[in-house]
Amino acid sequence: MGIDLQNTIMDRIATWARINSPWAIHFNSGSCNGCDIEILATLTPRYDLERLGVKLQGSPRHADVLICTGAVTRQSFSRLQRIYEQMPDPKFVVAVGSCALSGGVFQGCYNCTGGIANCIPVDAYIPGCPPRPEAIIDGIVKLLHSLREGPDSTTESQAETENRRFA
Amino acid sequence: MSTTNSPLHQAQILLEPWMENFNQPEPNRLDVVIASQDLLSAAGALETNHWGYLAAITGLDHGVEQGSMEALYHFCTGPVTLTFRVSLSRENPVVSSLYEIIPAAIVHERELQEMFGILVENIPDPSHLLLPDDWPEGVYPLREGFDSAELAQDYQPDLTEKTDRQDGCFVIPIGPQHPALKEPEHFEFTVDGEIVTGASVRLGYAHRGIEKATEQRTWVQNLYLLERICGICSHIHATAYCLGVEQLAGVTVPPRAQAIRELVAELERIHSHLLWFGVAAHEAGFDTLFMYSWRDRETVMDILEEISGNRVNYSANVLGGVKFDITDEQKETIRSGLNFLDERLHHYMNVVTKDTAFLQRTRGIGVMTREQADQLGTLGPTARASGVERDIRVEAPYSFYNDYPIPMVVETAGDLEARFVVRLKELLETNKTIRDILDRMPEGDLKTRMPRRIKAGETISRVEAPRGELFYFIKSNGSDKPARIKVRAPTLCNMASVVTLAIGHQLADIPVILAGVDPCFSCNDRAVAVKPQNNGWQIWSWEQLRQHGIDFYQNKDLVKPE
Repeated sequence: MGIDLQNTIMDRIATWARINSPWAIHFNSGSCNGCDIEILATLTPRYDLERLGVKLQGSPRHADVLICTGAVTRQSFSRLQRIYEQMPDPKFVVAVGSCALSGGVFQGCYNCTGGIANCIPVDAYIPGCPPRPEAIIDGIVKLLHSLREGPDSTTESQAETENRRFA
Repeated sequence: MSTTNSPLHQAQILLEPWMENFNQPEPNRLDVVIASQDLLSAAGALETNHWGYLAAITGLDHGVEQGSMEALYHFCTGPVTLTFRVSLSRENPVVSSLYEIIPAAIVHERELQEMFGILVENIPDPSHLLLPDDWPEGVYPLREGFDSAELAQDYQPDLTEKTDRQDGCFVIPIGPQHPALKEPEHFEFTVDGEIVTGASVRLGYAHRGIEKATEQRTWVQNLYLLERICGICSHIHATAYCLGVEQLAGVTVPPRAQAIRELVAELERIHSHLLWFGVAAHEAGFDTLFMYSWRDRETVMDILEEISGNRVNYSANVLGGVKFDITDEQKETIRSGLNFLDERLHHYMNVVTKDTAFLQRTRGIGVMTREQADQLGTLGPTARASGVERDIRVEAPYSFYNDYPIPMVVETAGDLEARFVVRLKELLETNKTIRDILDRMPEGDLKTRMPRRIKAGETISRVEAPRGELFYFIKSNGSDKPARIKVRAPTLCNMASVVTLAIGHQLADIPVILAGVDPCFSCNDRAVAVKPQNNGWQIWSWEQLRQHGIDFYQNKDLVKPE
């Protein structure tokens, strides 16, 4: 992630605030829509991502987390980079779906560059075609967990998962 | 058969002067060979006699050895398809544009031009439709011999931003990243004060090159690729493909499998329409309705998950049948889910036809007359809301729609309200049909054997996707991989209406007019362009535009609908 989120007391306060209410922006870099409707479904009453403080934001300038889907078509390649550059630091990228991870079923298509990580740095990967809303929530919670614990602890222990589940 | 034959017979008489040769490969199809210089006159003869509509243009490259290419112009009416076959040389392929006769042809022609390098003469806008702006000159991805690995090596991405905005215009750019539509497209609306005077769309952000990819995969692998053209209507893409391939192979699918296909297709329609309903309500500034409809949509998602194991790409189809059966317990779950949905749909119907605030955003807005809808070649619920009777399930029943018929729902008002009403009424009919299927589901096998290699030939498969007619052209050369698959999704035909409808309307109405046709860009990714005019420009975000819409109607004097 490049930036120490726990350095000073102000950093710690900012990180605490960010973990409690990360603002997310969604970008479709040429996906089939499947992941996108599942991301939208996580915001609606059944799954309700907002109860974890996650708010979907319209502008990259207000966002902490870029939720990105699709196999990155040539046309959207530069757009994705520009959106990433427009976001203020510290910023985090979540790649959702098989295509966003590796190109998925579109691997070898002439207009796909294959995966978000070829274009911008990615912090969390959520596999699935498309991932279930529960998986998307889990991926975001894991990202928030890694923010709290520092960049090295990207995975949590089984006990911690249990704790979180029943907290 | 008389209904199938008579329009084709009529067409044959109309085209007599230009017809070089003809052939009837299937009972509902007529292939007519036309010289490229006669194309305009032949298309003109169909148009003046109101024979059908231009459904798609398919390009075919026969390779270096034969040295020829072909452009196929498919015209459809009811259950029949008429195809003009225009032979072209590979060195210097030129056709003339049909734009003057059929304005909707321009998108098909731009695609033909960039994908095959067939020069379309007199085309008003020869720019790229689907391929990126920095695409290398003289590289045509759907020609034989195109190598994607070579392209990836030589490709020089151009990262500078291009603007072709004319100075002195007030243009509002939207996208490709915007919070309202969940897909990347770029729109530019030119405005004069509050009134939109021009609109243009740049598509291709979701163009992945699937048609080319199908040629490198086997018939079975393609099923999974084509299912992922669109995450909303995945089943219908796979169904259209399966129907075509089965037709080529001469295989009949067992009745139970056909019934299950229709059942899943109709369940998918419920999920798709409810999804659209929520998004459209969101564009109209009615977020509560958005949340309610998406909550109710989870009912049908649960049903789909229970019967198929997946929420989105159900993967119900295999070549020659379906993958899973419907048990008696599942039938009960589906029935109780439908009962709940019926109740909610009646409630929504009340909301869209009686709610004062909502009606102000929909009644009399974005009106498209029957003539316009016909001329712009709109399809699906968008056309039916304007009184155009166009529904493949009724006109050309495929799969099991003969045994479990579904009535055509048509509204005549042509405004946004009608587009809401037509989709909700359609869902009520869909629910009835699903119950009908569950009550009288035939017994039997779930699939038959399919050969690994498919007989050489060409076929056309048309099905009714949630957004309108979906058109597949499939060509086999007898191997285990297809020679060409052409997909024409309904949004292409409906996008033309958005730009036309937008002009002359309040800026505030644009988001909901756009959502009104239920655009689905990943399905097809195409474009329409209209020249902007006026002076001075400023940038608004989509959110600001939406907020402006909400404020505008809040400040406007509330007029009570009678």
